Amino acid sequence: MPMHALKDALSFGDLPASERIGFAIFIAFCLVFPWISKGSFAQAVMIQFLIFCLYGLGWNLIGGYGGQVALGQAKNVGMSAYTVALFMVWWDVPFWFSTPIGVIIATVESFILGYFLLRLKGHYFAIATICVSLVWQQLFVNWDLIGGARGVELPLKETPNFVYMQFTSPIYYHYFAFVLVMGAILFMNWFRKSRLGYQLRAISANEEVAESLGINIHWVKVKAYCITGVFAGMGGAFYAVYYNYIDPFSVMHLELSIMIALMTMIGGAGSMWGPIIGAMILIPMDRYLGAWLGGSGIVGVDFMIYAFMVMVIAAYEPRGIWGIIEKARRRR
Amino acid sequence: METLLSTTISGLLMGMLFALVALGLAIIFGVMDIVNFAHGEFLMVGMYAAFLTATGLSMEPLLTLPVSAVICFILGMGSYYLLVRYLLKGPMLAQLLGTFGLMIFIRYLAMAIFGPDYKTLEQGLLIRPSINWGPVMISYPKLGAAVISVTAFGAVYWLINRTRLGMALKATALDVEAAGYMGINTEKMRGLAWGLGGATVGIAGALLTNFYYVFPTVGLLFVMIAFATVALGGFGSIKGAFIAGLIIGLIWDFGGTYVGPEYKFALIYLTYFLVIILRPQGLFGW
Repeated sequence: MPMHALKDALSFGDLPASERIGFAIFIAFCLVFPWISKGSFAQAVMIQFLIFCLYGLGWNLIGGYGGQVALGQAKNVGMSAYTVALFMVWWDVPFWFSTPIGVIIATVESFILGYFLLRLKGHYFAIATICVSLVWQQLFVNWDLIGGARGVELPLKETPNFVYMQFTSPIYYHYFAFVLVMGAILFMNWFRKSRLGYQLRAISANEEVAESLGINIHWVKVKAYCITGVFAGMGGAFYAVYYNYIDPFSVMHLELSIMIALMTMIGGAGSMWGPIIGAMILIPMDRYLGAWLGGSGIVGVDFMIYAFMVMVIAAYEPRGIWGIIEKARRRR
Repeated sequence: METLLSTTISGLLMGMLFALVALGLAIIFGVMDIVNFAHGEFLMVGMYAAFLTATGLSMEPLLTLPVSAVICFILGMGSYYLLVRYLLKGPMLAQLLGTFGLMIFIRYLAMAIFGPDYKTLEQGLLIRPSINWGPVMISYPKLGAAVISVTAFGAVYWLINRTRLGMALKATALDVEAAGYMGINTEKMRGLAWGLGGATVGIAGALLTNFYYVFPTVGLLFVMIAFATVALGGFGSIKGAFIAGLIIGLIWDFGGTYVGPEYKFALIYLTYFLVIILRPQGLFGW
């Protein structure tokens, strides 16, 4: 079974040649990027892109394949980021030890929450996840023990340190994030061919029929929700060591959850490459637009553009940009 | 004892306004099974409309009610014809994220136009000190807002239950196809439901302006309360929205007084959870 799963994860043979070529170009681009780009801003945008790919790939499981609109990814990101940061501040625990703990906390929270909330349908579930996010956000802003609104700063070591994931050059972070994203893509490649993947898509298409086929819909959704939590937790842990500073507004905020969902929806929810396409469009646009408009004091133009794109996509092509690409391909 | 009485009155008054905020959500959901995430943003637009007309023309804030109502009516109807109509063809995910996108869009548009500052009205008929009735304090603006809110609620209730238009709306809600065969222009009815939903929340916004801050993200605060209200009353039930509004208002004020103001929202969210887990159809839903 594990060998089989590994084979499934590594084999992209069932995809059309054009997708395989696209994927190869993506890998090649990520590998050479730090060497062709000299600007530190571009490198920062690239790392951000990779982090959001990870979030989006995770959200795609429950939101895209499962069709459950969960708007609370930020709390999993935040919990894991806070675990890594606080363990280091309080007890000097290295990244590699605190990350598994952070991811486990994020996953357990997903499990408990998912267990109760995933019995809800459609908008009831979406609203409930917003409620939970807001409660956590409020708690983290007001809880002085963990830094409150001021956030947490990770202490810097004197020398670059692999154990604490502190490097002077962003290249190391870039490759680490890239490895995480590749892991996530391979996982998704296994997932879409797995039993769980088929069950989840069946649930998304029609819950009653899925149930009548003997699928334990609640349990499958909970499993998918937990995996989403794992992805967000990994992203959060990386975020903490990459920025060396976290606060509730950067990792715990509802806006982050919203952005992850919108991004995946624009790229194409429920498709393998959708989240990556979404991140590829939105993250550079967001950063460059922010840098460009930041001086003029106009806030939120980036959000307006996403929101507009989401409205257009939801109204005309709910499968996102990937849906448009597939449609064009079929016509040929 | 005095605090108890004051809190009860304040909660009931606030509840009547919450009910009006939730009413539009209930109408829209009742007629076509779609949740309008942008509802809070409609409220915000209503608040800004009232605020800007009142300060710009130095007008009595209460007279801005029709302005807010008309602007939000157009906003609601426009949303239906330009966006929601197309969303209804798509899957659940597209419907949810579509109105969600509308919410984000309106919010940040307001942020770009008006800036993130908090604004308040300084003068108006309702803006005056509280009435001290023995030891019991009654907030004057809240009292006025509650009275108008109940009137507006009654008007909508009458419109839906006693007029031909309301019957056509209800018929569309029950069975779109059958209503279409009876010669009802269902598309128009759905657009009208959105317009009506917008207008009621616009009035609520104009009333709220009399005693609450106006700022671009105010919508999220109230839309969460409205969701809790509508869930408690039963999605789509107008009578339910009113009674649930009163209950939520009491929870809001009692929570603020006896538990602590910072937990007000947590209590509202908790109510939402308890309702959807224990009685998903709400008090009056079916």
